Amino acid sequence: MSKKSVIGVFDDENRVVSAIKKLKENKVKINDVYGPFASHDILSLVTKPTRLPHLAFIFGAVAAILTFLFVYYTSVINYPLSYGGKPTFSFPPMVVIIYLITILGTATLTVFAFIGRTAMYPGKKAKMPGIGAMDDKFFVVIDQKNTVADVESLMRNSGAIEIRHEEF
Amino acid sequence: MIRSHFKGVLVEGNKTYAEVTRDIALPTETKPSRWWYAAMTLATLALLAGAWALYETFAYGLGTWGINNTVAWGWDIINFVWWIGIGHAGTAFTIFLLIFRQKWASSINRTAEAMTVFAVLCAALFPLLHMGRPWLAFYILPYPNTRGPLWLNYNSPLFWDVLAISTYLLMSITLWYFGMIPDLATIRDRSKSKFKKTIYGIFAMGWSGSAIQYNRYESLNKILGGLAAPLVISVHSIVALDFAVSVIPGWHTTIFPPYFFVGAIFSGFAMVLTIMIMLRKVLKIKDFVTDKHLEFIARVLQFGSLIIGSSYLMEIFIAWYSGVEYEAFTFLHVRASGNFSSDFWIMVLCNAIMPQFFWFKKFRKSLFWLFIISIMINIGMWFERFVIIVSSLSQDFLPANWATYKPTLVDIGLYVGTFGLFMAGMLMFIRFIPIIAINEVKGISKLGYEENKEKE
Repeated sequence: MSKKSVIGVFDDENRVVSAIKKLKENKVKINDVYGPFASHDILSLVTKPTRLPHLAFIFGAVAAILTFLFVYYTSVINYPLSYGGKPTFSFPPMVVIIYLITILGTATLTVFAFIGRTAMYPGKKAKMPGIGAMDDKFFVVIDQKNTVADVESLMRNSGAIEIRHEEF
Repeated sequence: MIRSHFKGVLVEGNKTYAEVTRDIALPTETKPSRWWYAAMTLATLALLAGAWALYETFAYGLGTWGINNTVAWGWDIINFVWWIGIGHAGTAFTIFLLIFRQKWASSINRTAEAMTVFAVLCAALFPLLHMGRPWLAFYILPYPNTRGPLWLNYNSPLFWDVLAISTYLLMSITLWYFGMIPDLATIRDRSKSKFKKTIYGIFAMGWSGSAIQYNRYESLNKILGGLAAPLVISVHSIVALDFAVSVIPGWHTTIFPPYFFVGAIFSGFAMVLTIMIMLRKVLKIKDFVTDKHLEFIARVLQFGSLIIGSSYLMEIFIAWYSGVEYEAFTFLHVRASGNFSSDFWIMVLCNAIMPQFFWFKKFRKSLFWLFIISIMINIGMWFERFVIIVSSLSQDFLPANWATYKPTLVDIGLYVGTFGLFMAGMLMFIRFIPIIAINEVKGISKLGYEENKEKE
């Protein structure tokens, strides 16, 4: 779904950050910023904290409980077998198994959650505002409807090398 | 901007982002030079030797190996532990240096992680073959079966090992692959051929570099890193428990898990140093992997060596102090002065003594000595596993059962084969994947330069 957008192109991290700050002061809603690396200054200005860690915690808890139930069922209920007279329900060795499967389960499920949420899949066509977002350019994308202030001059004054109006 | 307490610059040459991309992407965009083909030929020959050894093993069974009733674990398990140890470098590099906020790791972690993946693959081969009937390997997984259902003995460290190594392999591959998605997108956007664009595009999964995407991506990386950190510690600890839970003199000690873990980090970092020195020689990455980086690795090695050295001393001390005569016999007689004394002293020289030269700046700065000592550590760590495994088994409680051990050609072939696998994997890696995390390096490439500018 493409909208009419104003796209500011920058070639320096500090300039983008100051531009974003100025835009925010003027209450302009920024749709997204594209850039070659994860700049923490940009991320903290533009994005909300993700809920992925909470999800990961839930996945971990579920994996731990399911693993315990599985190990308990197989070694105590379904086929209790005496190994040298040791108790069939012996918790310490189960801890190792629960620990490992919790890590494996959490990692796998979190990766799938990430892929699902970002809608990434092998062979997906990347939707990018211009050439160079993964090389040396930063793109600040603003919805045309949200341009209350004079967005163009704000970005130009902060050091944008180019301003484009196009569908994105 | 990432803040760092690091003094000076991490990437030399005050490069622009475009220059960083161009320099790192270069090996994936140009035809490989002669050394690459030469190395690939060597790797293929080694793989052929491995294939022959595999054929012998499958066709005639484990009788073709040097193991016997007394020394039931030989080169297979030695090489397994050795490769797993090397496989610790990547994740340790990424995770622990991330926790300690050591930004210099950014230019090395991709290669170290690649090493991890290939080393763990090599390692996993050995226990699989050691089963004797690898085609029944699925017996070690808990699945509903018609034998009872006979589930598994969860008290056995061997089963923990199966879980630990398969989890570690999957985690390393995940961490490695997800770490390189933005860089694959960079190569995708740069490449001119349609074929290349499609292939890299498939693996880049539609990465666009948007801040929302980066935010989730960073979070995912932190979660994976946080999960992998305890995993790194547990993998080699569990390998150590394979030994420590048994009753063999020389194995049955509580020091084993931390001792093995430090040994693994030690050998892994040594292998990273070896490979980085070679890659610096053949690829143009000196601005990213500077002399300073190598010096840092040398310092880690020096620290590791101190811990390893004190572990050796502690083992010998406890063998005497505990008053257990079998322990004392193994450590003082068999290892330090008996049949295995030469192996034991090679191990002490390579692991505990040689890295101490890194106290001197001259050795930390000299590529020649860095290379020599890193190779010596790799050799020393192999001998450590040899001493632990073979000396304990060959002369244990019953003198009537004592036996010697000699590897056969098939053993050697398998070992050479894993070298081929590792080398071929690494060569393919440097050919097709940016060996330095482009997106991470861009985040640190300006460090140092801007502070200087501010001062001016």
